[in-house]
Amino acid sequence: MNYLIPTLLLVLTCVSGFADETNQPNLPRRNPAKTESKAANSSQKKPAKDPSTTSTDELANEPVQKVNDPFERINHTTFRLNDSFTIHAIKPLAHGYEQIVPHAVRTGLSNFFDNLDFPVRFGNDVLQARFVRSGQEVGKFVVNSTAGVGGLFRVSDQVSSLADVPAEDFGLTLGRWGFSTGPYLVVPVLGPSTIRDLTGYAGDFALNPLNWYLIFSNHRLISNVVGYSITASRFVVRAPGNVHAYEQMKEAAVDPYSAVRNAYLSHRAAQLEK
Amino acid sequence: MGQIGHGIYLCRYQIRVAAINLSFVICHLSFAASPSDPAAQLHSEVDQVLALAYSGQSSEALVDRAGPLLEKDFSFELVTRQAIGPGWRQFTASDQQKITDLFTRLVIRIYSARVVGTQRPNIIYGKTITLAPDRCEIPTRVTAPNSDKPYSVTYRLINLPSGWRIYDVLIEGVSFVANYRAQFDELAQRGGAAAIIKALEAKLAEPINPNS
Repeated sequence: MNYLIPTLLLVLTCVSGFADETNQPNLPRRNPAKTESKAANSSQKKPAKDPSTTSTDELANEPVQKVNDPFERINHTTFRLNDSFTIHAIKPLAHGYEQIVPHAVRTGLSNFFDNLDFPVRFGNDVLQARFVRSGQEVGKFVVNSTAGVGGLFRVSDQVSSLADVPAEDFGLTLGRWGFSTGPYLVVPVLGPSTIRDLTGYAGDFALNPLNWYLIFSNHRLISNVVGYSITASRFVVRAPGNVHAYEQMKEAAVDPYSAVRNAYLSHRAAQLEK
Repeated sequence: MGQIGHGIYLCRYQIRVAAINLSFVICHLSFAASPSDPAAQLHSEVDQVLALAYSGQSSEALVDRAGPLLEKDFSFELVTRQAIGPGWRQFTASDQQKITDLFTRLVIRIYSARVVGTQRPNIIYGKTITLAPDRCEIPTRVTAPNSDKPYSVTYRLINLPSGWRIYDVLIEGVSFVANYRAQFDELAQRGGAAAIIKALEAKLAEPINPNS
């Protein structure tokens, strides 16, 4: 059972196929900045440009990017369920956590769990053959684990070469290997994703040595207690930020479903470009 | 299950940064028109806007004070046209004007609710990138006092007859304009300009929660 879901996701990713722009016309795969730059460059090279077309017209007439969302109806349903779950379950939890735990402690715990994810980021850097970046991740981990007291303080932010290292995950690794995103999905509890990113979660799980112990340990009770404790703690620590972000998103959006979908896909595309 | 929490965090964090955290976006949007260097212009005027945004006044007062400033220096007309997309030309002039007014009010209102009572963010400016003879973008890294990590905010500016104006903002790669365009497109397909107007009016009628 431990291997069933990752295997299934991997198969789904393979089925969804390698990246092919002609097959994926509706996903914002490129960094909008670069797209804009390319569009701008190409427009500069066009000698036969309509003189009556102004720059503002060009901007205003950019086509709307279509999205690969074949499961939109069920995604909408899941989105509403997640919304309800967030407001009625996670929000009270996050509120209680914020009331009980001081801000400085919350920040320390958040840093701690970020530091704990080092093997995932490092492993994906290596899988993508980004050796400089993997070295930076090692540097971050060493600095934060030692000077940062086990990761509670993110001392690496004070070191310019370690301050802004993009976090890699297996979804991005698959993207760099050429796999397309596949259809957009809204996963219960988990939120927005794609077939590729969902597979990425399984990959990240496998890359984390902590999980190797949880999977292969002969002490099932201990490993389960440790595993669920870490998962629950991580969930609670990150709940306040997630809830605030979600509520702000809803408040600004006229169509929250479309807003979240666009934001998720655009952000992942931008991450892939870094 | 170990990655589920991480997955939630990842998704929601992406939403957060992409969630049009207008407090730090729009507070950079306003600057006086000038024909010269857009970066210097943006940089020099940010303090003025931040001073207004973080002066500790109420959300309602900030709407009154920041609104005219933003409308003067920020091309809401162009942003609204972009947010609607090619369908804009099919709308009547009256609908266009109404949508522009409503969208402008929405942006200013959200901005005002977000910045009240919060601390000033730390901003680091990057080099200006030329996109076209009359367009450029300026990358920044913003660190909010209550945020765990810095995030990237990129401003796109266009040189209009009235001076350099911002026409889009990208937060962690997510375009403010494209995000609203995705939302408006769905609405326009369902009910045209009337659906967009109705949605904007409904949104403006909702109370803003300053604690969210």
